[in-house]
Amino acid sequence: MSRSVFVTGLLLVAAGLGLLAVKVGVYGIPLVPTETPGPWQVELRIHVRGEGGRGSVRALLPPPSATQSIFDERSSSDRLSFSIREQEENRLGVWTGWLEDIHEIVYQFRIQSRPREVAVPAPGEGEPLSRALRLQFTRPTSALPASAAAVKELLAQLDLPSQDDVAARIRTIYAFVAHEIERIPSAGDDALLTLAHRGGSAEGKERLLITLLRGAGIPARVVRGLELREGVTPEPRTWAEASARGVWIPLSAVHDFFGSRPEAFIELGRGEQPLVEATGVRVVGHRFMAIRESLRPDEIASLLAPDNPVLRKLSLYRLPVPSQAALRVLLLLPLGALTVAFFRNGIGIATYGTFLPVLIALALRDYPLSMGLALVAIVTGLAVFARGGLERLRLLMVPRLSILLCLVVLVVTGLALLGEDVELPDLFAGVVFPIVILTMLVERLYITSAEEGLREALIRAFWSVVVAAGIHPLLRSEIAGYLMFSFPELVIAIVGLLVWIGGYTGYRVADLVRFRALVRDGSGARPS
Amino acid sequence: MMWGALQRKGVLGINRRNARYTLFSNDRSRYPLVDDKLATKRLCSEANIPVPRLLARAGLHREARLLPERLRREASFVLKPARGAMGNGILVIHGDGKGGFLRAGRPIPEEDLVYHAAGIISGLYSLAGHQDAALVEERLEAHLELASLAPGGVPDVRVIVYRGLPVMAMIRLPTLRSGGRANLHQGAIGAGIDLARSRTSHAVLRHRPVSVHPDTGESVVGVGIPEFERVLEIAVHATDRTGLSYVGADVVVDAVRGPVILELNARPGLVIQLATRAGLRPRLDAVDRLLGRHDCDWQQALPVQERVVLGQQIAAEQAG
Repeated sequence: MSRSVFVTGLLLVAAGLGLLAVKVGVYGIPLVPTETPGPWQVELRIHVRGEGGRGSVRALLPPPSATQSIFDERSSSDRLSFSIREQEENRLGVWTGWLEDIHEIVYQFRIQSRPREVAVPAPGEGEPLSRALRLQFTRPTSALPASAAAVKELLAQLDLPSQDDVAARIRTIYAFVAHEIERIPSAGDDALLTLAHRGGSAEGKERLLITLLRGAGIPARVVRGLELREGVTPEPRTWAEASARGVWIPLSAVHDFFGSRPEAFIELGRGEQPLVEATGVRVVGHRFMAIRESLRPDEIASLLAPDNPVLRKLSLYRLPVPSQAALRVLLLLPLGALTVAFFRNGIGIATYGTFLPVLIALALRDYPLSMGLALVAIVTGLAVFARGGLERLRLLMVPRLSILLCLVVLVVTGLALLGEDVELPDLFAGVVFPIVILTMLVERLYITSAEEGLREALIRAFWSVVVAAGIHPLLRSEIAGYLMFSFPELVIAIVGLLVWIGGYTGYRVADLVRFRALVRDGSGARPS
Repeated sequence: MMWGALQRKGVLGINRRNARYTLFSNDRSRYPLVDDKLATKRLCSEANIPVPRLLARAGLHREARLLPERLRREASFVLKPARGAMGNGILVIHGDGKGGFLRAGRPIPEEDLVYHAAGIISGLYSLAGHQDAALVEERLEAHLELASLAPGGVPDVRVIVYRGLPVMAMIRLPTLRSGGRANLHQGAIGAGIDLARSRTSHAVLRHRPVSVHPDTGESVVGVGIPEFERVLEIAVHATDRTGLSYVGADVVVDAVRGPVILELNARPGLVIQLATRAGLRPRLDAVDRLLGRHDCDWQQALPVQERVVLGQQIAAEQAG
């Protein structure tokens, strides 16, 4: 390695690591994510098409409570004014203004869900609900027909425990709805129909639960929220709350919880208020997105707004959720490139192309490694199989490769159907990108097998996949993801390492293997 | 341990070859002169360096369809891509005397020839998959002294030329396993040639030392190479024409025409070090010491013959 290469590499590595050291040492940004699961970062994006007059858009905003804390709330909307209105127990975000054409409203927040077990107070303890509230939450409504004959009849059949044991009364009704009422996704939301058919939708079951509770004189209400899961779009969820001696107990006959809601659920509001509604608009649509952070809220605060104004400007945590999600993946690619450079120039492994292994690893990122490798094996196996048949037809190159693409698509379609049967519907959720990459692999395999024989082609495909498998865990690693995203200056250090690898003129491991016969002969003496 | 042993031996590794020799001293813009066999052929012909005679060329698919008609009278020929690598896509064809074609003794239909030429033109065998041309050349025949060493193929001599001096050479002997091709990774034998004595000194097959040809049982060590001085001279002369400073020249000693330049390579492989059982680095360094700074205009200063002698001396010194 020449001196200038060494110094250049050293400067870059030092610059990258130095910046990291300053951020960690001076500004107290944590170097590794904490063990405890951190808060969620949620984004609500609303699109409206106005009618060309005044109008407003309303959305339920998460209320801070004992079981969830909200921080870092932000809203952005073009040409609309934003306010938060407290309405009974709900927080409503209201955007008003002149609505014409298309408006995009973005509302972001971070939320830490901390569910805890809610116990029913012992008799005599607890403060009962006021008479007015009691009336409000036991009153029959059109959606919750608590006074209907069918409800009364069923409650009589259920043989509820005495009025004193509220907890047992709630539990009996809960058990009935949870176990005796079937969940039919295609069914309607009506509480009475759900009761009559002994089956209904998720919404229908929860409404029936609340209706029955109200019918039995127990105050109950609808709660609306989201279920957050990593890598999946947040799902709107409905569940119930019942009041026992003044304490609201969360319960759900669909999601099977009683007394404590799952950690993945967050509350957005109560009652019949929809998650998003609008007036004065032609169309309204909305979408939630969420990503999980791996830090405590105070640590995020240090990343979000470090003491230094320059660092604050450069913090990636300020970006909108979709950009963050994309950048988290993007910033891992230099690590993949570094791995490939090491494998090729340090070890001397022949792979297809320079970055195909990185792309393969990226394409398979959403699958567990074993499933990803199986996918690669199936697709390459098919290509090798089809090669024989296509060879006989003597087709020209481009159509021949196009036929292979068609075959790959057919196989993946088949696998998707298969995935549905074995209840892995997510298997081919984001399938377009992997297909493009796998087709590239097949194309290289095909060309190499024509040029240098099937053996050589398969060997190279094998090594490409081995390198991809080496990169795959990096791309899925939480720590690597956190480090690269929180300290993007590491890319500079990686460039430094690449300068070193590029200037490395020593032997590759493959050289050592290849020339071992020269060494074994030892003396170096020449026979005459 | 392994590392130090290779270092002492002066073995050139692939990283160093790329950084110091093929990337650094070979001008990239001159690569096409050696990557395209047609350009190499033109270059050599202009300087009266012998090359295989061109019988036909097809750069378009419709030209490929005309090939069988044009070649019907030839006793034998070779169909190859102009920009192929590592001996891929080469077909050796004989006429059957009745207007038909034979490949390895078996009849080959005309459509197969056309199909193969079309594959070449589509870029199936070219370095980066680009559009290519199919060349038809006369089939060279091994010199009588070498013919018995390589049944079913034509051996060629690979000469590494650095800054106008031959530094290392080996003869590549096709085997049945290599399918008649003179490529080491396809199973041909590489036998290192002592530059000064014009004789093979060691041989390897698939990276392992051998002393006899697996197909014939004949010794492949101690074999004299006919017209070896002339082989080195045309290798050096052809390299001069390219303006590249680190080149592997492939020379066939033809039974009739004597040494003929088959092709030139700007990224010659390193396995030659196994065949000669010697590292390249001491020889390359000796050339650099002899010629001094990199950018001096040394090539015109010495006649080809003298440079061949210099190369032989360096090889002998490093070996001694």
